[in-house]
Amino acid sequence: MTQSTPIIEVSNLNKTYQKQTVLEDISFAVSSGSVLAIIGPNGAGKSTLVKILLGLETPTHGTVLIDGQKPQVARERIGYVPQRFTFDRTVPITVHEFLMLAACEEKEHTRTSMVDRALQEVGLPNIADHQLGALSGGQFQRVMIARAILHHKDILILDEPATGIDVAAEKTIYDFIRKLNEERGVTVLLISHELDIVFSFATQVICLNKRLVCHGVPKQVITKDVLQEMYGHLAGAYHHHCDK
Amino acid sequence: MYFRRCTVIWQAPIITTVTNNMFDFLALPFMQRALLAGIITAVLVGWVGVYVVSRRMSFIGEGIANASLTGVALALLAGWAPLPVAILVSLLTAAAIFIIERRTVIASDAAVGILCTSGLALGVILLRFFQGYQPELVSFLFGNILSIKISDLVVTEVFGVIVFLLLAFFTRQLTFMTIDPEGGYLHGLSRWGYDLLLYSVTAVTVVLSIKLLGVILVSALLVIPSSISKLFSSSFRSFRRNGILLSVVIVVFGLFLSYWLNLPSGATIVLFGATLFALASAAHLFIRNQ
Repeated sequence: MTQSTPIIEVSNLNKTYQKQTVLEDISFAVSSGSVLAIIGPNGAGKSTLVKILLGLETPTHGTVLIDGQKPQVARERIGYVPQRFTFDRTVPITVHEFLMLAACEEKEHTRTSMVDRALQEVGLPNIADHQLGALSGGQFQRVMIARAILHHKDILILDEPATGIDVAAEKTIYDFIRKLNEERGVTVLLISHELDIVFSFATQVICLNKRLVCHGVPKQVITKDVLQEMYGHLAGAYHHHCDK
Repeated sequence: MYFRRCTVIWQAPIITTVTNNMFDFLALPFMQRALLAGIITAVLVGWVGVYVVSRRMSFIGEGIANASLTGVALALLAGWAPLPVAILVSLLTAAAIFIIERRTVIASDAAVGILCTSGLALGVILLRFFQGYQPELVSFLFGNILSIKISDLVVTEVFGVIVFLLLAFFTRQLTFMTIDPEGGYLHGLSRWGYDLLLYSVTAVTVVLSIKLLGVILVSALLVIPSSISKLFSSSFRSFRRNGILLSVVIVVFGLFLSYWLNLPSGATIVLFGATLFALASAAHLFIRNQ
């Protein structure tokens, strides 16, 4: 898979909410087929950036293009796994029904086989009839990934997908995402606070603290100075990840 | 054995007679109109109620019903049929709630509270210009399905069919935007279009049900059947199906009870539904603790 064609282009992006700057002059490009990690402290603008990439928010200034199109137009090419899914767990809906909502424009039996295949791929083949609200955190997150990959997507955006799940489930999730990237050429954008994951998993990283602190290959650009700029006096907790 | 057979033979005509008397009223034209209008609105209210309860926006039913009083008052002053004007006012109210929710920092419940009490207040002021007793107004306030006219039935049927078709055609989209609006948007659905559609069908359904239950009680039927259904359903499909069935059962048996006991129809339907809810909740708690 070539990594030269930019599939995401962000130019001079600014976002303000009620006169408060959330993102300031952000520019970067993401090559098709790469894995980009986005790191930064709380309030750095990571989630706002993701919302703009998904077309859920509009920039105050600047442009965002997904393969040359506005995010609102290209949104169906993006699979998204949110950090928190604000779902009322008391509403009775099965995993099968939930996934079938997203498996549109197909015949019933094709949709069912799509759902079964997606559940198989995330390692949950036998939970189609379970209620969504009764799933554990790890199962729930894998169902969200199953939904994101139900159709072939060019881009997969994951907002801290391993939050609140155990080590074994976390490994399953990251192995599967890696497989999607390597075998299907899916471009992956991963928000994570875990530098271990960023170093082992991402080909590119952007460090964000309202503005772009660094952008490049993780081993090359994440330095103690960069961590200091992002996390301040708490940066020491991350220093063991850095050579420089 | 002989005695028992004789007893059965002797009892049978009495049971038949009692049964005949009990259901004689079904031959009455006003009761037939009431049942037909009741079943149509029950199906719609049961269906819409599933979305309303899932989105935790039960307050919207009461709010729209209150605001529709302005439409009733306007129609009565102008000498028009109240139901179509009330539907128009309720649609405008639903659209206004929708816009305030999305374009301002005002929360949904506050938007409903402000607009709908204002609508009710305007209705009360308009009715001040009215002279004398208005049976039509009383039936809108407290519900009187037995007084439903053929013209009301026609309006109920026409709007009922439209709402039913919209709900049937857009079931997947409405369910998707109810369960996961962000996911629905990313799968190509309009962020606002389906919410506006749901608000509109809710507004029309609520106004169609006002004749059945009255402005004051109408929101109960939006919430009770789907809340009972939620206790015992294991899938969204069964949640919706049971909600509709329960709504029809509550309306039909409530109507029968109101006729047999000579009680106001709206209040009897709501109390019958509330009793079912209390029994269902007790049964649910009992099953859960087993």
